[in-house]
Amino acid sequence: MDIEDDEILQGFIEESLEHLADIENDLLTIEEGGSNIDEDLVNKVFRAAHSIKGGAGFMGLTTIQELSHAAENVLGMIRSKKLIPTPEIINVLLIASDQLQSMIEDVHNSNEVDISAHLLPLNSIADGSFSQVTQEASTTEVKTKTKQIAGKSDPPPAIEIELPVEKAKPLAAKPKPKPEPEPEPEIEPELVSLSLQEDDEGDDNDESGSYAGTTPPIQRNGRSDSSSDKNKQSGHPGKAETTLRVHVSLLDSLMNLAGELVLSRNQLLQTIGSDDLRNAEAVGQRIDLITSELQEAIMLTRMQPIGNVFSKFPRVVRDLSKKLNKNIDLTIVGKDVELDKTIIEAINDPLTHLVRNSVDHGIEKPADRKKTGKSDIGLIILKAYHEAGQVVIEISDDGKGLDGESLATSAISKGLLTAEQAQAMSDKEKINLIFLPGFSTAKEVTDVSGRGVGMDVVKTNLDQLGGTVDIISEKGSGTTISIKLPLTLAIIPCQIIETGGERYAIPQVNLEELLRIPASQVQNRVERVGDAEVVRLRGTLLPLIRLSDVIGIERTYFDHSAEEIKPDRREQTADRRGKESPLFRNPNEPEKKSSQKGESLNRSVLDRRYSASSALNIVVVSTGSMKYGLIVDRLQDSEEIVIKPLGRHLQQCKGYAGATIMGDGRIALILDVSNLARMARLNSIDGSDRAAEVAKAAEDARRAHKDRQSLLIFKSSETEHFAVPLNQVERIEKIKRSDIEDLGGKRVMKYRGGSLSLICIDDLAMVNPLANHENLLVIVFNIAKRAIGLLAIGPIDAIEISAEIDDTTLNQPGILGSIIIDQHTTMLVNVYEMAQTLFPQWFAEREKPVFEAEPESDPPTILIAEDSKFFRNQVKGYMTEVGYNVIEAEDGVEALNKLHEYGDLIAMLVTDIEMPNMNGFDLTQRIRKDDKYSKLPIIALTTLASAEDMAKGQAAGVNEYHIKLDKERLMVSVHDYMKRRF
Amino acid sequence: MTDDKTTVDPRRIVELATFYVGEALCGMDILKVQEINKLMQMTKVPQAPDYVVGILNLRGQIVTVIDLGLKLGLGATDLTQDPRNIIVNSAGAHVGLLVRQISDVVSADMDRRELAPANMRGIQGEYFTGVYKTDNNLIGILNVDKVLSLED
Repeated sequence: MDIEDDEILQGFIEESLEHLADIENDLLTIEEGGSNIDEDLVNKVFRAAHSIKGGAGFMGLTTIQELSHAAENVLGMIRSKKLIPTPEIINVLLIASDQLQSMIEDVHNSNEVDISAHLLPLNSIADGSFSQVTQEASTTEVKTKTKQIAGKSDPPPAIEIELPVEKAKPLAAKPKPKPEPEPEPEIEPELVSLSLQEDDEGDDNDESGSYAGTTPPIQRNGRSDSSSDKNKQSGHPGKAETTLRVHVSLLDSLMNLAGELVLSRNQLLQTIGSDDLRNAEAVGQRIDLITSELQEAIMLTRMQPIGNVFSKFPRVVRDLSKKLNKNIDLTIVGKDVELDKTIIEAINDPLTHLVRNSVDHGIEKPADRKKTGKSDIGLIILKAYHEAGQVVIEISDDGKGLDGESLATSAISKGLLTAEQAQAMSDKEKINLIFLPGFSTAKEVTDVSGRGVGMDVVKTNLDQLGGTVDIISEKGSGTTISIKLPLTLAIIPCQIIETGGERYAIPQVNLEELLRIPASQVQNRVERVGDAEVVRLRGTLLPLIRLSDVIGIERTYFDHSAEEIKPDRREQTADRRGKESPLFRNPNEPEKKSSQKGESLNRSVLDRRYSASSALNIVVVSTGSMKYGLIVDRLQDSEEIVIKPLGRHLQQCKGYAGATIMGDGRIALILDVSNLARMARLNSIDGSDRAAEVAKAAEDARRAHKDRQSLLIFKSSETEHFAVPLNQVERIEKIKRSDIEDLGGKRVMKYRGGSLSLICIDDLAMVNPLANHENLLVIVFNIAKRAIGLLAIGPIDAIEISAEIDDTTLNQPGILGSIIIDQHTTMLVNVYEMAQTLFPQWFAEREKPVFEAEPESDPPTILIAEDSKFFRNQVKGYMTEVGYNVIEAEDGVEALNKLHEYGDLIAMLVTDIEMPNMNGFDLTQRIRKDDKYSKLPIIALTTLASAEDMAKGQAAGVNEYHIKLDKERLMVSVHDYMKRRF
Repeated sequence: MTDDKTTVDPRRIVELATFYVGEALCGMDILKVQEINKLMQMTKVPQAPDYVVGILNLRGQIVTVIDLGLKLGLGATDLTQDPRNIIVNSAGAHVGLLVRQISDVVSADMDRRELAPANMRGIQGEYFTGVYKTDNNLIGILNVDKVLSLED
């Protein structure tokens, strides 16, 4: 065989492959139609086979010609309705077209390929001797043979050079040994007779070779035009495409834009010469516009419909489901969605794997489907659509779904996971286990899937494309795998950030949100658990990574006032001197802490821990199922950037996906967020979960350390939550609204033989009015030696809590502050203040402090030791209200220092029990040891007065125990001691 | 004379661009050199090998700049002493080589090239294809591709 004109041969190959790609889908459609033959479609396939035959004859590719001729015969019979296309016949045709394809792809060796196994069934179909029985046998034979031939006809390129030598040999001497028996000789004459019949159809098949000198090229041109629109590029993504079909109109617009660009350049050069600034600006804008348009147009040339990949799946699903004895319908939606051609090429293998998976593992056998009440025909939907600037590809099946439990069990048995880890996992996380390397869900390894190329490879491939994959599965009713892909890889929108004085780009596909934690909240929201830092974000804990640490540069921060970058010396993000997670507190270091407290008194405004530049800038990024926060120095704009690869000396730096050139000509590195997480040893399974666990342990430990409050929670209106200290409550009564009597502008009710004054919270505080319920609750308090009832509605509950009380946000008359209980902001009611305001006469006869009787003497000074600012302010308020002087101390150590400092001036100590550094018991003991203070009255305040605590306190030398917020008793006691003093 | 090549190279005279790496005078075929620049603004690459000074934008191309002194084991090139950046094309990519100082272009007769010693002023002999003697100097002819290979 001499192929002289390489160009013509190339043309033939391209055109034939195009035809074949069409043939495949068309055959499948014909199969679907069954006896209802679509003549146009059959004609199209017929013509395709015919033009391949013609071209092959012209080129001297006899084997291809022979095979396409045999196929054409069968198609001709279908066209003339002499034959009904059964799945078996279509099968033979499909296999023949596969063989044609493999021969055309390796056209130089095609003449040596043995095609007798294809000719046999084709010819027997044509002469009507094709029966069910022979079909079964020959199909399988053909299948195995196809594989072998495909293997042979795929030689390494080096062999091609030697071919001409081989070609010189006569064709009859077949160099390769054939495993199959030679075809029976009687086939040959039959073929001839068939082809003669074929002539009646009006196409001079056999002679096409002799006419070839003129006609075939013309035919080719005509045909390729008609088919090119439907099939711009045949789907053989396995091979790198070297050419691309681009619409002429697009080329024209590119040309126009290029022309405009040249014009603008000329303008620019002129402007630069003439020093005309204003004009330069205009030209600049023009160039900006043209560049953007040019960019878009060029991107468009790279866009290819995803149908190119999708189109091969009907065949894949058909063949596979036959093999597995399943009935599966494949629906394809969104063929026209366009993606960058590099993505189209790269998505092919992962998608094939996923579709095969759905067929093999997803859809059950028909019998099993019937058992579960489903139709025996399984459904796979392949869908592509645009969403939020990305393309989403969904592969959903209505099969058996994924069973998280069995996945977890399997992962444990494979040693990929510990049982404890599995226990802590959510269902979704369990399903995501199939992405773990070395995981295969099939119970047995089939040749369909389970060949060691698992879902982890799919995920890795998609990660490389900047895509994400997500699985939604419901056991028994199906699985949906959705893949999100960027439209293009060449130009991507990025968030620009700055750390250590350099800019970095984070691809926007990885970007979830930007978070700025003000300096004042850093202490509360950033915590250190184990060796990781986490931030509280809407109720969940997000692992934090400091970019400078991961890439190993000096920590810096950006000082907004000085507009410069300064080194950061803090070791922990949460380090604001004060807060530590008690779980990790070193018990041997109490002294250091106290010295810090002293220092904290003269904090200056310049102390940057309290200035704006100490706010944290966090970029919340996600890769696959993992989400984390990246701490950076500064957030800048988001920009569209062009990715440029890094040189080979930087390939070892895994943290970068490439680099880009910024507007000012400098380079910014593009961060690879999934590799950064790996570098920081953050992994998706234990990262966030473990953080959450440790945080919970830390939280528990801290709670155990802190004051616990017993609170009675209730409601007044439906929407607002209230609480009062439980120990102030005398009792709770259930009443009917009709029990309330309105007398003299006051609400009262009969209670234990007297009348009980009733108040509502909205009498004093600006809250919603009492709900209009028939059944009400009365919470009875004892204030100023009288009972008072607070009207409320249920549900009521008594809880112990150690949350921080916020005494600023919601502070108002009648409300002490607020506290978070079960995610509700709950207002703490100041019953005492309410009573005092609403019934001032009750307090008129109250005992006057003793010192008022002797105006010459200074009012006594009381030292209050209390770590909670809220309670300290409360108690201080009680004292100063009646005229006492107050000195405050934040803990035992400070109280002791103050006591030594002020000495005799202090007439009394009111101390909390639970305090950091030195608790109330220790403080009392220390004071009592000193003879000078042996007589000093000490009142201990506690939230929970247990008998044990009281005994302990008495042993330490506490004079009296009182409950925090029980102003009444505390003040009586204080007056009492002060009276004794004089 | 060590040249044992059997084929006759029509161009035995090679122009060598010579430069100082530390105190050593090195040279390379001038046709390998795309251009020689002053030090431009570079972007540091954290976590890069220590001999990578940074990357720079050379007319829209990203060029990795390598401190030849560090790479050859002669200590870092002093960036304050106005070093030069030789842009070479190696293995399909542009790489910048930072050298202390540029010297003359020397026409060298390759037939007079001598085998490289095991070590030349502290530089491993394997980085040279040979040495060339001029009247008053000894030029080590660098094997740029070897220097820029990633094997070590």
